Amino acid sequence: MANITKKVSWSSRADESGPAGEGTPLLNGSEQPRLSRQPSEGGSIFQIGRLSTVDLEEEITSDEDSLRGRPKEIPHNEKLLSLKYESLDYDNIENQLFLEEERRMSYMGFRCLEISRWVVCGLIGFLTGLIACFIDIAVEELAGFKYQVVKENIEKFTEVGGLSISLLLWAVLNSAIVMGGAIIVAFFEPIAAGSGIPQIKCYLNGVKVPRVVRLKTLMVKVCGVICSVVGGLAVGKEGPMIHSGAVVAAGVSQGRSTSLKRDFKIFEYFRRDTEKRDFVSAGAAAGVSAAFGAPVGGVLFSLEEGASFWNQMLTWRIFFASMISTFTLNFFLSIYHNNPGDLSNPGLINFGRFQSDSVAYNLYEIPLFIAMGAIGGLLGALFNVLNYWLTIFRIRYVHRPCLQVMEAMLVAAVTATVSFTMIYFSNDCQPLGPEHTEEYPLQLFCADGEYNSMATAFFNTPERSVRSLFHNQPGSYNPLTLGLFTLTYFFLACWTYGLAVSAGVFIPSLLIGAAWGRLCGILLASITSFSIWADPGKYALIGAAAQLGGIVRMTLSLTVIMVEATGNVTYGFPIMLVLITAKIVGDYFVEGLYDIHIKLQSVPFLHWEAPATSHWLTAREVMSSPVTCLNRIEKVGTIVDTLSNTSTNHNGFPVVVQVSGSDEPAKLCGLILRSQLIVLLKHKVFVELARSRLTHRKLQLKDFRDAYPRFPPIQSIHVSQDERECMMDLTEFMNATPYTVPQETSLPRVFKLFRALGLRHLVVADDENRVVGLVTRKDLARYHLGKHGLEELQLAQT
Amino acid sequence: MSLCKTRPFFVLLVINIYSLVSSDGVNLGASDSADKLGQTPSLSHVVVNSPVFKSALDSSLSISLLSSFPEDLEISDYCSELLHIFGQRYVTYVNCLIPAARPVHVCQNCFASYRSLLDIYANISSEQMGPGNVSCKDSLLRSDRLMLVYQLYSNLEGLWTKSDCKYCITEGLQSLTNDTLYFMMTLNQTLTCFEKYQQGNHTELCKNCKSSYKGLNELYSRMENNHTLCIDIEDAMNMTRRLWSKNFNCSFPREETVPVIAVSSFMLFLPIIFYLSSFLHSEQKKRKLIHPKRAKSYTTLMNIQDKLT
Repeated sequence: MANITKKVSWSSRADESGPAGEGTPLLNGSEQPRLSRQPSEGGSIFQIGRLSTVDLEEEITSDEDSLRGRPKEIPHNEKLLSLKYESLDYDNIENQLFLEEERRMSYMGFRCLEISRWVVCGLIGFLTGLIACFIDIAVEELAGFKYQVVKENIEKFTEVGGLSISLLLWAVLNSAIVMGGAIIVAFFEPIAAGSGIPQIKCYLNGVKVPRVVRLKTLMVKVCGVICSVVGGLAVGKEGPMIHSGAVVAAGVSQGRSTSLKRDFKIFEYFRRDTEKRDFVSAGAAAGVSAAFGAPVGGVLFSLEEGASFWNQMLTWRIFFASMISTFTLNFFLSIYHNNPGDLSNPGLINFGRFQSDSVAYNLYEIPLFIAMGAIGGLLGALFNVLNYWLTIFRIRYVHRPCLQVMEAMLVAAVTATVSFTMIYFSNDCQPLGPEHTEEYPLQLFCADGEYNSMATAFFNTPERSVRSLFHNQPGSYNPLTLGLFTLTYFFLACWTYGLAVSAGVFIPSLLIGAAWGRLCGILLASITSFSIWADPGKYALIGAAAQLGGIVRMTLSLTVIMVEATGNVTYGFPIMLVLITAKIVGDYFVEGLYDIHIKLQSVPFLHWEAPATSHWLTAREVMSSPVTCLNRIEKVGTIVDTLSNTSTNHNGFPVVVQVSGSDEPAKLCGLILRSQLIVLLKHKVFVELARSRLTHRKLQLKDFRDAYPRFPPIQSIHVSQDERECMMDLTEFMNATPYTVPQETSLPRVFKLFRALGLRHLVVADDENRVVGLVTRKDLARYHLGKHGLEELQLAQT
Repeated sequence: MSLCKTRPFFVLLVINIYSLVSSDGVNLGASDSADKLGQTPSLSHVVVNSPVFKSALDSSLSISLLSSFPEDLEISDYCSELLHIFGQRYVTYVNCLIPAARPVHVCQNCFASYRSLLDIYANISSEQMGPGNVSCKDSLLRSDRLMLVYQLYSNLEGLWTKSDCKYCITEGLQSLTNDTLYFMMTLNQTLTCFEKYQQGNHTELCKNCKSSYKGLNELYSRMENNHTLCIDIEDAMNMTRRLWSKNFNCSFPREETVPVIAVSSFMLFLPIIFYLSSFLHSEQKKRKLIHPKRAKSYTTLMNIQDKLT
């Protein structure tokens, strides 16, 4: 049986390579998308345990042929890897040009580079702070205007009757504003949807998410977030801030904008993925810091998400960017609030200061906090599961932009309706506070001088609601109000996240948690007589932390963010306990929200470690093979053909050298990237031309950087028939020392190398240094530990 | 050993006590014995260990304090006169405040007495020298830990600030502002109206007094926006509102429940239609599977099989 298998598989390969490859035998085999070894059983998951049957299926070649015409199609699910995502080139390309440039650079040059890194980080912080400030002011003004209009209308109609008209007005206003936000997102830049944290997480993980750090994305994001918050959706503006910071960082560090076609001729050295990614992590940190007023939390967020490539100087620079960002926001907000110089507005969300006597907590409260953490974990898991199903439904059925816009408008209208109904039927009236903490008090059917307490929760921007839940006097909400609010807001927030609007999930989670936390506090105070439990604001804070932890499952950075946002170190311990509990309980059921969305976007995300029980897999099974290789001195025609082959969009090519005059297979001598080849073709660096034109300028690293990051597609490069016959010498440009592993290396070992060095291609070589395969990110990300052991994800076109 | 070391310390202590006491100008009968103490170490134990001696010393001190301070430490006649006046005016003001606590009239009733209290306190705390070239600021306000005069005054000042009375009283605390007077007038009108219709059906009251109540309400919110409210006005308005809403039950009734429910259920129905229709009519998005190139050599498969079995 084994013999037959062998024969069949070899013959089938020979069939394929027949028409395609002349001259370069290694080039073939990649032409046709080959069928899996698995018959199409409908199931979307390979189980590696079943590979034992594989060799039998090889014989059904006729079936394979008939199937090959129409690729298999399956509905979208979470167990796919999309082809549109590529790795970042984090690894330095040490070719001869690079060495030459380094030799030319003086000591001063390196010092200047270091200084300009600091300057860039300062700029990132400054601009991020400015953007945060702009968003804050815009939201405050526009939302203030909207609520004023609706409030006046409601007041008018309370008197004369016809409140359903106010309801319609509110719903229509909301939908109209959200429509604006949804249109720009759905039609112009779909990547700007959502909070952007999953995307940034992927980017920091080393995945090049298309268009995620463009200027256009930033514009759409900023306008979109203003629209969705003003439109009254159950969203916050904090998550998008992190994305905005990242875009700012990617833009500033390049010293130019490809969208605007402006090149400032500065920071040219930073035009490569390695440097850019470092700055993006600084930008994300600056974003967190501006959003929550938590500079340390920002640094730790970057550390948590992108820690595999890290160094001490970088951390220090990132901290610098974070501090600058929160300071800038502070400064400009103080001018806006007419008290310049008062720097007490550190973040977009300001939890306010907790009075020192109300923050006191006792040892006997710790078990209560842990119990609340468990509730947070459970509710968070429920939220995530519901949102998971909803998102799958959205990807499968609500994928056309106009449908997405309609959906967003509907959500906005329903949010307004539900809020109005809740307010209308609420009987919870509270006297107006002396210092008017309620921004837009609605009276409705309450006695004069009192306001509807449900309205403080619903008829307000979410940030303000959070703050009032934390800080309002005990007794400003009755338990029924809070319970109803928690219930409705939970479903509204769950429904809202994943719409085609740019909006974050932080604030809604905090709000849900604060509501049920306060409820817990009130109930505790009513069943016991301890006066220490009388302060519900403390429980609101713990509940908020638990809910947020249960949904996003962040650990260290979230603790620090919460501690910094409340400005109170005393709470560090309970918040940490709560977050730990919430994470443990939640992870038992389902992953964090961001991880779910990363999976649903089919991103090849590399986790910290290779899946457990994968040591028996070796590089030989993991790698892609056969590999498309190039000769060191290669014909232009071959290169062009290889690059323009649409079915195999390869990005890295091992360069091999043929031992002259022998039949031995070629040996590995380097690695070259598609982007480099394209630049070489564009500049027509051919051996023949170089010989004829002696004065031809030698290609420098600068030429590669100028083309970065949007290398032209191969189709736009014209190569004439004569030029196709020329030869190209890749010696100078290839990375002469690529990382290689032997075939027997286990998967975790390969994984570790890949993750720690931030590799994009890892050549698998045999003992004679011949290329046998290539490991890329998608080969590693395929494996994950499912319910039935090790599972393999499928590649799909999205 | 330790006793030897501590002995000089005791001596020092005793000498210090002595010098302190004598500088206060108290004629101490014990001074002789204190002198002796310095020479006789046996007695130093007595001093330190006996509380009796100490208390005797204290009591003799307190008695002699009343009788005689030297001239320069005593407060001047001028200052004690000021202190006396301050006390009188203080009592007047507090006497005025307490009856005005409920319903609150602290601003309109007591601003005059507050003014006089302010005057006298300004006199006390001024840097200017009075007759005999003395300033009472130091001697009256801050020569001791308690600072009684200052504390009393600052309490009342805190009350004044908290009550926001300055918004209702003119500059210099001369009279009530015109705004306040006008508000009081309008309030009286409304209250008269309330009184007129109080008997019998409250719906009558709600109808007839609505215009004047509304006028009052509008005036109040205008004043609120101008920040010209003091506690008197706020309290009066609160009471009126409570009368209006709670006692007479003139708040707006919840009448249009049906249209609101109808509109909101229509709104809630929309997403259901939307999702159903997009589920039924929109074609499901399919993903094309791509099949990766894999090494399929015989050895590999054999390896896997070996490892699995």
